[in-house]
Amino acid sequence: MFLAWRDLRRTWRRFLLVGLVVVLVAVLSTVLAGLADGLVRDGTSGLRALPYTHLALEPGSQAVFSRSSVNENALTAWQQVQGAQASPIGVSFVNAASTNGGPSLDLALFGVPPESFLVRRPEAQAALAGPPGLVLASELESQGVKIGDEYRLGGSDVTLPVLGFTFAGSYGHVAIAYTSLATWQSITYGNDARGRFSAVALSLPAGTDIAAADAAAGTEVKTKAASYDGSPGFTAETATMTLIRGFLLVISALIVGAFFTVLTVQRTRQIGLLKAMGASSAYVLRDGLGQMTVVVVASTVAGTAVGAGIVALLNGGSAPVELVWSSVATSAALLIITGIIGSLVPFRRITAVEPAIALGVES
Amino acid sequence: MTDTDQRHPGLSLRNLTASVPDGSGTRVLLDHVDLDVAAGEVLVVTGPSGSGKSTLLALAGLLRRPAEGDILINGVATATFSERRRTALRRDHIGIIYQSANLLPSLTAREQLELVGHIDRQPRGEARTRADQLLADLGLTGRGDQLPGQLSGGERQRVGIARALMAEPSVLLADEPTASLDPSLAADVAALITAEAHRRGLATVIVTHDDAPLGHADRHLHLAGGVLTTVESVAS
Repeated sequence: MFLAWRDLRRTWRRFLLVGLVVVLVAVLSTVLAGLADGLVRDGTSGLRALPYTHLALEPGSQAVFSRSSVNENALTAWQQVQGAQASPIGVSFVNAASTNGGPSLDLALFGVPPESFLVRRPEAQAALAGPPGLVLASELESQGVKIGDEYRLGGSDVTLPVLGFTFAGSYGHVAIAYTSLATWQSITYGNDARGRFSAVALSLPAGTDIAAADAAAGTEVKTKAASYDGSPGFTAETATMTLIRGFLLVISALIVGAFFTVLTVQRTRQIGLLKAMGASSAYVLRDGLGQMTVVVVASTVAGTAVGAGIVALLNGGSAPVELVWSSVATSAALLIITGIIGSLVPFRRITAVEPAIALGVES
Repeated sequence: MTDTDQRHPGLSLRNLTASVPDGSGTRVLLDHVDLDVAAGEVLVVTGPSGSGKSTLLALAGLLRRPAEGDILINGVATATFSERRRTALRRDHIGIIYQSANLLPSLTAREQLELVGHIDRQPRGEARTRADQLLADLGLTGRGDQLPGQLSGGERQRVGIARALMAEPSVLLADEPTASLDPSLAADVAALITAEAHRRGLATVIVTHDDAPLGHADRHLHLAGGVLTTVESVAS
């Protein structure tokens, strides 16, 4: 890279435009990575906060709670697995109308028994064991909801008081409200619950024969990570983000390829001169590709830093963004790799340059 | 390969043929040309524009392959050489001086020479020492850190000559080296090339349509119609 470094140092303005474009792509790519992670967090933070390792759902439900209904038989089967903790959980979406003029709420209603391993804090256990009520995600407190407010839950005649707030998070971008399983069953099924709930939350020790236990319980087990797929909009959101980021990578590669092709055409005589001086095609390629790699890496690092700064600024605001360094690093690495692949576009053009062109002689 | 074997001419062209497309047919530039240039001999080739002088130089410099014939460097026939071996031979044995110097705009005068050393994988310190020595030999002391745009036309051409000598070649080829210089500078540059060629024992071919190099040549050939003819013998 003897020539490449000096070229970069002394004719840096030539690389400014392509560098700037890669910086912008890196900024956008990093912000999108932050948005993707933020959306995932917003859609699944309620599940992430729960201490389960697996979920056992009705077969064919594809981890969608509204499609799943299991009963006590499944719970008992899982409770018999050596070392396992198993708890019923009911999940549904409800609209809650305030009876005293407070704000109307959309809620992801999670019903769990007070003694469940999912409920770790004693005050939460006490709240669920007492008279029926709601323990709401803490962000609702900032929307004006107060302890003691009463809400009538849509689709039922059940009216429940707000018992408290907790860091429950959200599910499918909707704030979570906890209630006891019995209350959840009466809201969901009325007087016809027949011991049904959405799924069995499991904490399984390593080495558990999951397949055998699953077959015995007649359920379909999902890992914790796989259980996020059933969150409303989760798959569509991640697929959309992945598609947009993929397009960005392709665009970046094409831009770098087009720039390097133009640069190669401009340098045809110089390449011929290098070959006339005894440089091999490999030497010329190393020099050129090395130069583009420096441009792509430097621009990507700069753009990623700016993008990460933007995500950090937006985090905590209304936009669902989150700075996950592994995602940012992956995004930057992919951008660098595709940029380098793009710079291979004029490969054949470089190898085809004849050294005789240095003398102005065409073959 | 006997690179420094003095029993052979430094450069030999054997039965060399080249042509270019011309309308629906082809025009012969070199018609079975034979030529020997001895080590330390300076040969000047003149000819009208388009007569094939640059093509002759491109073939002699192994920059392109002839349609027919062979080029021998220090007695070594190259016709069957792979592109890789031709490149290596060019790097180690052939120095080329270009019209208008043909310097790389982002390299200083010293770096133009160091690049040759880098391509040749010479140790960096060694290449720098040799570059400085060559620049001093060619009257460019103190100009090593200047970019081409900061040098005069004569200085640029001197850097071009120094660059051609950097790899210690046995064959020196010059393509219109004085064409872009004013007459007094042209005479100086022609004298410098000749002096260096004699001093270092280089088989040298200068193609020109300019009179400046003629007074310094050991031999003068004229190229026309694909044939080289002796114009005069100026050897002592």
